[in-house]
Amino acid sequence: MSEFMGYLRPNGDVGIRNHLLILSGTVYANGVCERVADTIYGAVPIVHANGRCQVAPDLRVTRRYLAGTAMNPNVGAVVIVDHFKEEGMTAEDLADDIAPTGKPIATVNIRGDGGFISAVEKATRYAQDFARQISLCQREAAPMSRILFGTECGTSDTTSGLASNPANGLAGEILIAQGGRMLMAECTEWMGCENWLTEKAASPAVAEAILSGVQHMEARALASGEDIRGSQPTGDNMAGGLSTIEEKSMGAVKKIGDSPIIEYLEIAEAPTKSEPGNYLMYGPGMGAESISSMAAAGCQVLTFCTGGGHTSNHPIMPTIKVTGNRQSFELMRDTVDVDVSGVFTDEITLAEAGQIVYDEVERVCSGYLTKSEALRDNNSFAIHRVGPSI
Amino acid sequence: MKKVFVVYATDNVGTVVLEPISVGDRVSCNGERSDLEVIALADIAYGHKIALMDIAEGDTVLKYGLSIGSANCDIKAGEHVHAHNVESNRGRGDLADRAAVAAE
Repeated sequence: MSEFMGYLRPNGDVGIRNHLLILSGTVYANGVCERVADTIYGAVPIVHANGRCQVAPDLRVTRRYLAGTAMNPNVGAVVIVDHFKEEGMTAEDLADDIAPTGKPIATVNIRGDGGFISAVEKATRYAQDFARQISLCQREAAPMSRILFGTECGTSDTTSGLASNPANGLAGEILIAQGGRMLMAECTEWMGCENWLTEKAASPAVAEAILSGVQHMEARALASGEDIRGSQPTGDNMAGGLSTIEEKSMGAVKKIGDSPIIEYLEIAEAPTKSEPGNYLMYGPGMGAESISSMAAAGCQVLTFCTGGGHTSNHPIMPTIKVTGNRQSFELMRDTVDVDVSGVFTDEITLAEAGQIVYDEVERVCSGYLTKSEALRDNNSFAIHRVGPSI
Repeated sequence: MKKVFVVYATDNVGTVVLEPISVGDRVSCNGERSDLEVIALADIAYGHKIALMDIAEGDTVLKYGLSIGSANCDIKAGEHVHAHNVESNRGRGDLADRAAVAAE
């Protein structure tokens, strides 16, 4: 069994990073959060457009995203800022959600603390204390079974379904064999592959949930007035050689391997089970919303498979980009981490490509910086909306 | 000799991921099967598929070891396999209607 060097949290979780989060409760606290994060060593601001005038089901999803991001094992401590009182999602509500993790939490209210300048000062002092406090955490050995490994694909092309995605599925199998868990979302791209997925479901209830998740997303798409099934595969997909929806979806779902699907999760919801295997989560194909939901579910690390190359990077969950397109790797060499295009030229087998992806994941878990982390290009925090702004 | 990529050992199609293929090219495989060789019967562009063996009308077209649809005519080894000769079996409201009519 392999081990990685991680940060042991008070609740027993193991993080692969030790971030101080400056978490904005509403859009109107973003400015304070950014100002604090500018000042304090290692602080990461989580800012977004939500938290006001949302219908209740939508606000609940936003709250799961925000609290879940702070609960992620990669976060050592949290300063939460809100601007007044949002019914159902104050800084205190978020702190209550996060508290069971046992990590240090402080809250600041811009109005209650006397305005922008006072709130920045108060939050900055909390943040300074926390930054020093968590700097005392040392990495220690932990088994890879403690890893929840998220996976995503975006800007896909012909090579994705043939190289990066199946290599990634094999990497997941290596982790699962050691007791780890793999999480895949983007249920839009399960359409046409429902049977392949439900065959792996650990119980009939999981199989039913997978089917209803796909149907729900399909209904959501249809409600937009566009029949996506009538246009899947799209014209450019077909020009690129994809003949049917089955072929397109199969390339996407091959990001996971053949292990059982243990649990089906709602968006941004943490698994309740610890059994090794695959976990599926409801969610859109939109990359930033999808990977943010996986970080909120507790994924410490994520592989992002891409044909065209990608810049996506989550602020607290290292995002390892993998491509099977050599030209994309050359063009995007500063943000794409792993090139598995050698499977097409017999330089490596698919099994070797899987091992290469797994080895990169293991290194990143022990602290090796991804290319986008080194660039501090934290571009991919976004929250999925399930209701309108009112 | 041109090469196409086969992603699963039981597949009956390969995908062009290196040089495009021209009519008359000898084509072999890499990836998960290397036992087949065919003569291309059509020009086949990057990203598109070639039949690695004869596929009879109604037979399943296999990629990833799984069905990506059914042949809607006899497809000869070396032919281009795409929307003109393979049909999806999913989301086919038209087929469901026909089955319902046949059952009445």
